Amino acid sequence: MAAREKYDEAQVVEQLHDPKQCRTAFGKVIEHYSSQLYWQIRRMVIDHDDANDVLQNTFMKAWTNIDNFRGDAKLSTWLYKIAINESITFVNKKKVMNQLSIDDDESFLVNQLESDEWFDGDQAQINLQKAIAALPEKQRLVFNLRYYDEMKYDEMSEILGTSEGALKASYHHAVKKIEQFLGETD
Amino acid sequence: MKREDSTILNKYGKDPGFKVPENYFDDFNKKMAAMLPDIEITPVDIKPTMWQRIKPLAYLAAMFAGVWCMMTVFNHFNGVSNVNSVGAVAEKLHSDSRNLDEFIMSGSVSDYDILNYEDSVAMSNEDGSIDEY
Repeated sequence: MAAREKYDEAQVVEQLHDPKQCRTAFGKVIEHYSSQLYWQIRRMVIDHDDANDVLQNTFMKAWTNIDNFRGDAKLSTWLYKIAINESITFVNKKKVMNQLSIDDDESFLVNQLESDEWFDGDQAQINLQKAIAALPEKQRLVFNLRYYDEMKYDEMSEILGTSEGALKASYHHAVKKIEQFLGETD
Repeated sequence: MKREDSTILNKYGKDPGFKVPENYFDDFNKKMAAMLPDIEITPVDIKPTMWQRIKPLAYLAAMFAGVWCMMTVFNHFNGVSNVNSVGAVAEKLHSDSRNLDEFIMSGSVSDYDILNYEDSVAMSNEDGSIDEY
């Protein structure tokens, strides 16, 4: 297997704005970010095929809007923003398809988890996913980014456009609600 | 410090149990790169951030500050007595001459004293006693 070229973000960002190199540079972006964006999306939409579609949409949107990326923010922040917006849009569309209200929680996404080909967790994991899905959208996002990705609050603040204090409070509430949910389930 | 999510972490860990098909990411990366449509890119110069622009100046300022601190510390421990003694002597000399001026100006030497002094000099000259000195 050929060794992967070292990823230099500053260089890639520069190449993205050069018509001759932009396609190659975006290939490097896909290679570097596909995995981390996929897992973030997957935790939001739960199903693998859905996550695959949302990830494709994310990169497609980033590519067609690459002119709007001026390097003011980090590339990862910009991509995470797109991925999160695409995930939320997808989940809301799915709610409409399932004749649910936009205000309903995302528990319906977890209902198919047991029979999902690409899930090998046990009942405890299913319960945890149900608890996370029952959270309000923002708390769910914050919990996933913090608990699974261990993302710092300042970075999260840039992505979600919320103050660090509010994010800490959201995480605190999310943890308490999940503990309560799991306490009732056990 | 205990993490606030430690109860969940200890019981459920960080693996949500999701998995992906084999070679999924390699296949996805190739497919996605091939799928990108042709678009027009406007060539732009990426502006460096404010920090990137002022970084050399900041480093320069920090270097000068460091040198100044080192010199201050060095003077304090080694050269302080010399510098201060020279200053003190200068101040003393200045002070003495100022006192002498003040003494003369204050009228401590009266006209009578000056006349007496002039007379005594004249007499000495007549005696030739001065020449003996």
